[in-house]
Amino acid sequence: MTPLLKLSSVKRSYGAIHALKGVDFEILPGEVMGLVGENGAGKSTLVKVISGFDNGFTGDYELNGAPVRFSHPGKAEQAGIAIAQQELSLIPTMSVAENIFMAGHNVPTFANKQSLIKKSRPYLEEVGLEAIDPSVGVDRLSVGEQHLVEVARLIAHDPQVLILDEPTAALGESDSIRILNMVKRLSERGKSIIYVSHRMDEIFKITDRITVLRDGESQEPRAASTLDVNSLVELMLGFELGNMFPEREPLGETASLMNIRDLWPDGLLESVNFDVHPGEILGLAGQLGSGSGEILAAIAGARKTRSGALEYGGESFLPKNPKQAIDKGIAYCSEDRKHDGLFLGRPIRENVSAPSLGSISKMGVMSHKAEASLATDIAEKFTVDVNRLGQDAGVLSGGNQQKVALGKWLSINPKIILVNEPTRGVDVGARAEIYQKLRALAADGAAIVIASTDIQEISNLPDRVITFYRGMQIGEIGLADMTAANILKQITDPFNETNL
Amino acid sequence: MNTDIAVGQTAPNTPGWLARLVDRYSWLVVILVALFLVTFFYGMVTAPNFLTLFNFKTIIRDAALVGIMAVGLTFVTLSGNFFLLSMKETAALAIIAFATAMSQGYGFELAFLFTMAVAVIAGGLQGILIGLGGNPIVVTLGAAGLFFGVASWWSDNLVVSFRRPHGAEWLGSGSFLGLPNITVAFIIIAVVAELVLRYTNFGRQVYLIGANRAAGKATGHENFSMAIKTCIIASACSAFVAIAFSAQVSSAHVNYFSSSFGSSGDMTILVIATVMVAGNSIMGGFGSSLRSSLGAVFISTVDNMMVLHGFNSGPRVLAVGLMIVFSIIVFALVRRGSRVQE
Repeated sequence: MTPLLKLSSVKRSYGAIHALKGVDFEILPGEVMGLVGENGAGKSTLVKVISGFDNGFTGDYELNGAPVRFSHPGKAEQAGIAIAQQELSLIPTMSVAENIFMAGHNVPTFANKQSLIKKSRPYLEEVGLEAIDPSVGVDRLSVGEQHLVEVARLIAHDPQVLILDEPTAALGESDSIRILNMVKRLSERGKSIIYVSHRMDEIFKITDRITVLRDGESQEPRAASTLDVNSLVELMLGFELGNMFPEREPLGETASLMNIRDLWPDGLLESVNFDVHPGEILGLAGQLGSGSGEILAAIAGARKTRSGALEYGGESFLPKNPKQAIDKGIAYCSEDRKHDGLFLGRPIRENVSAPSLGSISKMGVMSHKAEASLATDIAEKFTVDVNRLGQDAGVLSGGNQQKVALGKWLSINPKIILVNEPTRGVDVGARAEIYQKLRALAADGAAIVIASTDIQEISNLPDRVITFYRGMQIGEIGLADMTAANILKQITDPFNETNL
Repeated sequence: MNTDIAVGQTAPNTPGWLARLVDRYSWLVVILVALFLVTFFYGMVTAPNFLTLFNFKTIIRDAALVGIMAVGLTFVTLSGNFFLLSMKETAALAIIAFATAMSQGYGFELAFLFTMAVAVIAGGLQGILIGLGGNPIVVTLGAAGLFFGVASWWSDNLVVSFRRPHGAEWLGSGSFLGLPNITVAFIIIAVVAELVLRYTNFGRQVYLIGANRAAGKATGHENFSMAIKTCIIASACSAFVAIAFSAQVSSAHVNYFSSSFGSSGDMTILVIATVMVAGNSIMGGFGSSLRSSLGAVFISTVDNMMVLHGFNSGPRVLAVGLMIVFSIIVFALVRRGSRVQE
């Protein structure tokens, strides 16, 4: 069978960063092709190339045997390539039917609502939404249903290839199942589907073949039936695990520093229990939607919590806001430094001193000298150029921003440091520095808790890992068993008997 | 282990002197000062009465009344809580409170304290609502109606007057070393506000919360108390201006700040224009009391010159409007230029 779509030796660079270093990709008619790879492996770049969002690549792109090159996404759509992105492009206040025909294809210029509703039904049936009323507003549907409406909208254009980019990333179990059923149904009807996902269980349930991207290069596509989770993870990671991680040595027994008791942050399915020890880096492993990040936010008082308590320093409490946590020596970096980690429009110096204004002032009057020496001190520890302390934090690179976002907490001498996604959007050099710094802080007696969706990071940095899956605490992995494969099994497919 | 990874690389682009001069929004101050000088010399050449001592006093007196309110409002704006649209009505409420207390014979000190208490309550209520997440525009628009209604009802919409000597002449018409006392008060308030913003924890919190409310919360600085504090400051400044104005004319009426005042005939708009024209960030996190003071002097000078040239209120309102539009455009352009692409 000739491939419907075929890319060969596609390369794409952004400045000095080589996102794609030579990728071959193909999909047959009616096939479900899984596209997997680590964060940063080049999945999204490849998807952009295929769907016409990025035409700055080199290499060949053939559709039905003829070479093509799309100057913008609209052309790709006309050629029959549709993409459902993670960010939905629906208009929430308009009805389902109106959204499906938003682009105006296949409808008369002057259509009334009734005719739209009637015309939308077959497409809704095709995605498994026959039960919903096409006249209701999209904002009345669940997130999963909205994803299905988005696909219905794409199907209305009768595409040959449908790209689903992590459609279940933000969905719960039941909505995810609907998506998977839809994929099966569409492929039975002859559509080719490129399915991008982090979730191992799904990949094996629905794909025919799997293409693995690693570090911008593609592996030979393999039939899903010839792979299992272990061999797929091996393909994804390769054998070259980075040496950017500090050495780990088994830690001696210590009394716990903080016990998290029946903590139930909003967004989790059940409460969680674990202990944090001084001198260790504890990893909370889980994919997006697993709740690991929410737990950190809850400990830091930055998220609503249904119940539970922190046993710490001889008392049992639950911080109601970040200030209460800060006063107890608990520091927290969220996963989005631009949102709440940095004051981008203020000087670095002020960013660094923000959590500890009390320590640089007397009776509410601050000493700019004390602030400068505090900032210099922290900048030196985190290798941020001390000559730049007067510059706005917004002009720094991602790596330096993260160093400031993290480093500012040293000013309160934290006993517990919670970091969600410690190296998101950070270049390799700064990543290594951040890992070393976290290790050094732990060696000084602080307890570090990180939450990360980066499998390489979560399996190489922590001394101990607790795993989470869709809002549930699954298990704990000690240093001896800490492999990427072990962690991946628990965070992607924990209820498969062979895995536990 | 990881010696092969280059660490500590920092970008080498330390800005040069020109870049540092242009850095931030200081262009706006440069332009403002230049425009002020142009206006000043134009006035000197074209309007014969412009450079008289009497006119100078008029300018700095007008600038003082608007400027004190603008300095107060600057705290609200810098902290990211936008504007109080109730500045004028707060002043109306305060002036009625003051004149009523004076006319009942309570004396200046008691009347002053009473008026300030009213202002603190008025500001505090708005601050609580804004701090709880209310939209500042909606909250203060509602408050404006409320305050004006109360003041107008309280005074029966009549002029409340009190007799001289009433003990407040020093604030209304007294002077110190040739400067009107209200101007001296303006200078003191502006300088104190600047020092507070620069050298106190509270001032720093104003900037931090204004620059990024979420990051402020995450580092232990809540907007709730900030909104209350800044609204009280703005409200108290409004009341202070009302007291000074009433002390001068020995009377009060709810419309004193609506019709017979300043160029635009609307004190609130004039005060907001003053805060904006000097390039304080509308979104908060950047600006100063000094800028607002400069804006007050600039607007008063332009307005004064137009009065001397016989313009009626229409063109004068237009001039204020143009200044706002101009400053917003320059502000946006300078801001874009100074940001490094990420």
